[in-house]
Amino acid sequence: MTDLLIEFLSNTGFALADYRHIIMILVGIIIIYLGIAKQYEPLLLVPIGFGMLIGNIPVFKDFGLGIYESGSFLNYIYYGVTHDIYPPLIFLGIGALTDFSTMLARPVLMLLGAAAQMGIFITFLGALAIGFPPNEAASIGIIGGADGPTAIFLTVMLAPRLIGPIAVAAYSYMALVPVIQPPIMKLLTTRKERLIKMEDPREVSKTEKIIFPIVGFLLCCFLAPAALPLLGMLFFGNLLKECVVVERLAKTARTSLIDIVTILLGVTVGASTQADVFLTPQSVGIFALGAFAFAIATASGVIFAKIMNLFMRKKINPLIGAAGVSAVPNSARVVQMVGQKEDPTNFLLMHAMAPNISGVIGSAIAAGILWSFMSH
Amino acid sequence: MFGFEAIIAHDGLGISVIGISVVFVSLILLAFAVSQIHKIIALWDKRHRFKKPRQKKDQKAAPVQDPTVPQDIQRASRQFKLLIEWIGEPFPLPKLLYLSEKCGLYRPHSTINELLKCELIIPDGNGYYVWNKEAEEKRSST
Repeated sequence: MTDLLIEFLSNTGFALADYRHIIMILVGIIIIYLGIAKQYEPLLLVPIGFGMLIGNIPVFKDFGLGIYESGSFLNYIYYGVTHDIYPPLIFLGIGALTDFSTMLARPVLMLLGAAAQMGIFITFLGALAIGFPPNEAASIGIIGGADGPTAIFLTVMLAPRLIGPIAVAAYSYMALVPVIQPPIMKLLTTRKERLIKMEDPREVSKTEKIIFPIVGFLLCCFLAPAALPLLGMLFFGNLLKECVVVERLAKTARTSLIDIVTILLGVTVGASTQADVFLTPQSVGIFALGAFAFAIATASGVIFAKIMNLFMRKKINPLIGAAGVSAVPNSARVVQMVGQKEDPTNFLLMHAMAPNISGVIGSAIAAGILWSFMSH
Repeated sequence: MFGFEAIIAHDGLGISVIGISVVFVSLILLAFAVSQIHKIIALWDKRHRFKKPRQKKDQKAAPVQDPTVPQDIQRASRQFKLLIEWIGEPFPLPKLLYLSEKCGLYRPHSTINELLKCELIIPDGNGYYVWNKEAEEKRSST
């Protein structure tokens, strides 16, 4: 009987745990805290944080419990991550949620969404320079796109072993947009520039909104076919929303479907951060490069907006350049917040949504380009 | 391999330059296409203008004769009918008023009021209005 008790005790998590599990559990608790108490992207951080707790309970190997053990429950739902099923479904929901009218009203602002993608390629160079192989460097660079599903999509294709750290870095930085972006935005703009008021966008007709997803899809995917799974779903979701006649499908895509996929994606990404695969010097490098990518992407957007102002008759507020990173709608909200600190009567949110949404398209195209380069 | 040597060895600069260029070209093309959509839609909506002369001819062949409607209003009603055909039915009343003012039609407010009174323009029950063809035919037969 004593032997049985000792055997049982030796199988418990207390006996199997080492310091790495404790560190990861603490990280998970901090992420849950940030999600609940600070409300930084709670829809993402709460599932990811709890997933980290699930993934870092020490269990016997080959017990069929861990996320990397075939046949386990977690391994089954992780299939959606490792086979790129969840990211396009998230994009379907984003498409069904997003109103593209501000972008349609002022298409010139789409250039800011392109400029912010500089962060991806500069970080790619940085990762190459510090010794990451090209496929891993590309996956790290895409963190600068500030788009969790896109980062997961590309990492699965190019560097599957880095899914955990890259996904957590991408989602953590997306959640920390209100902390990372404002100092960069203030540093690169003058008060006079932050006070610029932009004119109201024109009204966009229903027909335009219906035609856009079809034209957008055809144009982008003919140019960068590798972005097809993400952009196909994004524009399809938007067509469901705008055509009105399939309201049931649009409602499902923007509510139940995206919620279910977010839960599965968040929990499995969190659980994939098992201490033994996550706590490596590489992960530290990925987190450092991720922060760098975010900073460069924000700075590129703001600087490009200032350059555009040199040529434009009607000036744009350069703060909206920061929304070119595709953390929708978080970075647009940050622009609004920073703008209103200078002038409470200045409403930049709707203007910032244009580069924000085009940033989603831009980062998906960038992912497609990197994938097509690396796969050759 | 580290530093610039690693970037050159993996053709990092080439990938980055082409990558960012393709992103820019894609979004510039998309922005251009988007900026043209509303113009194409506007052109498509104006296609009825090309049919206008023929409709006028048809109109002349079947003039509206209404003894209960004042003579000047009767004349104006033909122009309003053409305008309504151009707008398309059902139409919002403010749009008809706005366009009739823009086209310089005869006393738009009172004419529309008269047309409503003699039921040549009737509500469709959904907040919009339509041209009452039955009433028009009835009047022309009498």
